[in-house]
Amino acid sequence: MADDLKIVGLLCNWCCYGGADTAGTARMQYSPNIRIIRVMCSGRINPSMIFKAFQDGADGVFVGGCHIGDCHYDAGNYKWSRRSKIVEDILEEFGIEKERFRHEWISASEGEKFQKTMEEFHNTLTKLGPLEL
Amino acid sequence: MSYVLAKSQNDDIHKAGECGGAVTSILKYLLDEEIVDGVLALSPQNDVYDATPTFITESDDLLSAAGSYHCAPTMIGDLVQKYLFDKKVAITVKPCDMRAVEELIIRHKINRDNIYLIGLNCGGTVSPVSGRKMIDLFYEADPDDVVSEEIDKGKFIIELADGSEEAVKIHDLEEEGYGRRNNCQRCDVKIPRKANIACGNWGAEDGWTFIEINDEKGQELIDGAKKAGILETKNPAQGAIDGREKVEGIMIKMAKKVQDATYPTVSEMDEWSRCISCYACRDVCPICWCFENCELNKPYFKDEQNIPPTPIAFQGVRLSHMSFSCVDCGQCDDVCPMDIPVSLIFDKLQKKYFNRTGYVAGVSDDIKPPLYSPEKTEL
Repeated sequence: MADDLKIVGLLCNWCCYGGADTAGTARMQYSPNIRIIRVMCSGRINPSMIFKAFQDGADGVFVGGCHIGDCHYDAGNYKWSRRSKIVEDILEEFGIEKERFRHEWISASEGEKFQKTMEEFHNTLTKLGPLEL
Repeated sequence: MSYVLAKSQNDDIHKAGECGGAVTSILKYLLDEEIVDGVLALSPQNDVYDATPTFITESDDLLSAAGSYHCAPTMIGDLVQKYLFDKKVAITVKPCDMRAVEELIIRHKINRDNIYLIGLNCGGTVSPVSGRKMIDLFYEADPDDVVSEEIDKGKFIIELADGSEEAVKIHDLEEEGYGRRNNCQRCDVKIPRKANIACGNWGAEDGWTFIEINDEKGQELIDGAKKAGILETKNPAQGAIDGREKVEGIMIKMAKKVQDATYPTVSEMDEWSRCISCYACRDVCPICWCFENCELNKPYFKDEQNIPPTPIAFQGVRLSHMSFSCVDCGQCDDVCPMDIPVSLIFDKLQKKYFNRTGYVAGVSDDIKPPLYSPEKTEL
């Protein structure tokens, strides 16, 4: 499974990070390419963080947040969901495939969904190959 | 919202103004009654190509600023934010100025209570350099002899010192690569409806200014100026209102055509590859207000060794900060030393954002752009 693809994962503290934890404690297998950065809320993620990740060599960026309605801070994930659209629009202008950027709502109990998402994302990126800016 | 035709009761102003002198009269009223500390308006310096924003505090100086200056495209919105934040000012605004002011109000950089916006309908502006060249090439006149210019009925009209006039169709000028600036050609906001009043000659009789009153503050302005005996008004005929609407409609249709033709042709990555990281586009942008704190100056993005900069980490960051609020004023095109069509790319993104959200920068009524609102909606 080891390859050089780098995935940067920005995971919300309350849900998706917990989901990753659940996947880990349950010893679910998924590709080890993801580098997880824990953030307090998906609503605190700026588009520039995604761009910085791509600039510094990430082949894909994953953002995980709470399900809509479950945000620990009430509406952070709504903000992120709108911001993500702008990120998609801008990435398109820079010739970065929109498949390299993915976001998903994963709760702390959904370890399996986290595992599945990581596998899928890794497969997509394998098909696309390394990102050349 | 209501319409009036207005003209100045003051003979000097009536003569100096482009069509009736209503704008100058209203400004004079505001200054004389000490409702505002000053007026920010374009005032010509050496010639008609050299009008600069001037802060006028004496109503006698207003006369020099009367008339239209299409060859001096300057952005007034950020001047208010930077230098006149704590003053009460009346500002003459073309639509992009108004949009910039609106966007800055949203960002709490301008206090709405402190300003009067006197809107000017705008069919487009011409860059001074290409304006001179164009007059040299297409008119039988020396650019230096031009004493005033105006745009009317699709023609760019110049007036010479001896009183003679010459007109050439803007369409013909633009076919040859002259005429209005590129961003003006695709601009689809021609009447500043967020200003207190919007003034212009579309639909107006000779010697009168057609005014659209947009809000209560605007109505107070007109009533006050009338009371002070400086403004005369009458109701426009239905024909005039229809005529004005028709002019606006045609202009917007033309703009949409230009948009459809130019948006798909721009190849961003080729354009960005010429960037020399001078930051001029950021510094001149009326919407970019956080100069010292700009994210591009932060150590994690500052990259002075790399020229051109990685596009995603320079233009990408700027796009994500403000492209949804781009008012398409074209200042960034004007200052770019490498002739990158910056505003075209930003404006294209704002249109994309509009298609998703329905938000038009500086025109929509949202208190915050959808990107920053706390509302619980997804796109």
